[in-house]
Amino acid sequence: MSDSPVTTHDPNADDTPAEASPQEQKKMEQAYAQMKRKMSMEEIGKKIKHKVMVLSGKGGVGKSTVSTGLALSLAQQGLSVGILDIDITGPNVPKMMGLDGQRLHVESGRIHPAKGHLGVKVISMAFLLDSEDTPVVWRGPIKLGAIQQFIGDVEWGNLDYLIIDFPPGTSDEPLTVAQSLPDIDGMVIVTTPQEVALLDSRKSITFSESLKVPVLGVVENMSGYTISGKAPPGSDIEIAAPAGKTLKATANDAGEFSVTLDIFKKGGGKLTAEEFGVPFLGALPFDPGFVRGGDDGVHRIVSEPEGPSAVAFAAIVAALQEQIVDDPGAGLEII
Amino acid sequence: MKSFDGENMTDEMPTMSRFERRETDVLLTYADGSEFSVTYDDLRHSCPCAKCSPLRNEDEASKNLRRQVEALPKEKPKVRIVGNYALGFEWTQGCSSGIFRFERIWDLANRRDPDNGKPYVHGAW
Repeated sequence: MSDSPVTTHDPNADDTPAEASPQEQKKMEQAYAQMKRKMSMEEIGKKIKHKVMVLSGKGGVGKSTVSTGLALSLAQQGLSVGILDIDITGPNVPKMMGLDGQRLHVESGRIHPAKGHLGVKVISMAFLLDSEDTPVVWRGPIKLGAIQQFIGDVEWGNLDYLIIDFPPGTSDEPLTVAQSLPDIDGMVIVTTPQEVALLDSRKSITFSESLKVPVLGVVENMSGYTISGKAPPGSDIEIAAPAGKTLKATANDAGEFSVTLDIFKKGGGKLTAEEFGVPFLGALPFDPGFVRGGDDGVHRIVSEPEGPSAVAFAAIVAALQEQIVDDPGAGLEII
Repeated sequence: MKSFDGENMTDEMPTMSRFERRETDVLLTYADGSEFSVTYDDLRHSCPCAKCSPLRNEDEASKNLRRQVEALPKEKPKVRIVGNYALGFEWTQGCSSGIFRFERIWDLANRRDPDNGKPYVHGAW
């Protein structure tokens, strides 16, 4: 009988499918969560009008300062804005946004972002750490999973702009985001004027070409430090500058003078932009107020909305908005 | 359908506007109106993943990979867009890991070696 091609059904036999083992169940749950996340990422792509990545090749050039500044400047225009802090191992956007020590609210498996100055929504790894001194020691694949969760499991709601702040370099993080988040408008490359930073910025520009994510523009940070003061009207002032140079100024009739000290050279960001044929969005002054604001959680744009830094950011945002196309055109048709 | 040849095809690659899955091949349409067909076998044989790529380094292994690919059932893949720069294909059997940059597909469309004659070195990205 065992060779017979005919099978018979025994009504007394126990046909109940065997229960999945805990490992199988875990796998199924993971696959389900992954599928849900993928669908959610597509949904997010539709709810967020514009997504802007903020990158730099070198660390310490002020990416987070620029990211928060762009977000706040856009929010000043009355737009709905979010910041996604993808710097998993060194997250500092919450501190700059006055959200230090906050915890995220989770409801029905969805993470709700914290709200900072001007209603800007913020998601960061910093919200999940027990203490700000706790290091995140993760290998690439774990970081990748966390980033996908930050994109897929967050309830951003409808946003006009999502600013994504990255750690320095061209590694896992921007690659994962560029692959996971649909319809990214482009990248903003932050640099400081000196040659070392510019060298790395050029790598970021080439990286964007590989990912087919357009460069929206280059921002030169720490561009020049303006010293202002008072002296008798009409008097000549001399200030010792780096490289043995002397800066000269003459006090005006009101007895005021100002000179700009180019601490890290000048104009390198613009030159790099020209060299690669990408837009130059503008330069931000070297403003010690950013340091104080970053530490105190009150961004310069919030503490001095009409100040020189806020004005410089507004000009950069205007240049950025010119680069962003509302309708990127018809995509690829797959049939 | 027109085809191109020349030294710097990749630099002149137009934007892909249509990807039509047919029974045994895909019909690609580009923004400049040009059309190309690429068989699923060619697509699968040129998979750029870290598992398939080294198999194309040696002639015999490459022929073997080709035989394996041709033995697979002819099926239309599911297509996913990867960021702005590539496509991924999901097949019911065989390898679905490769991320195909548009340049790679453009090379295949133009009957050019997408590896450009270079052997695969792990971690080339």
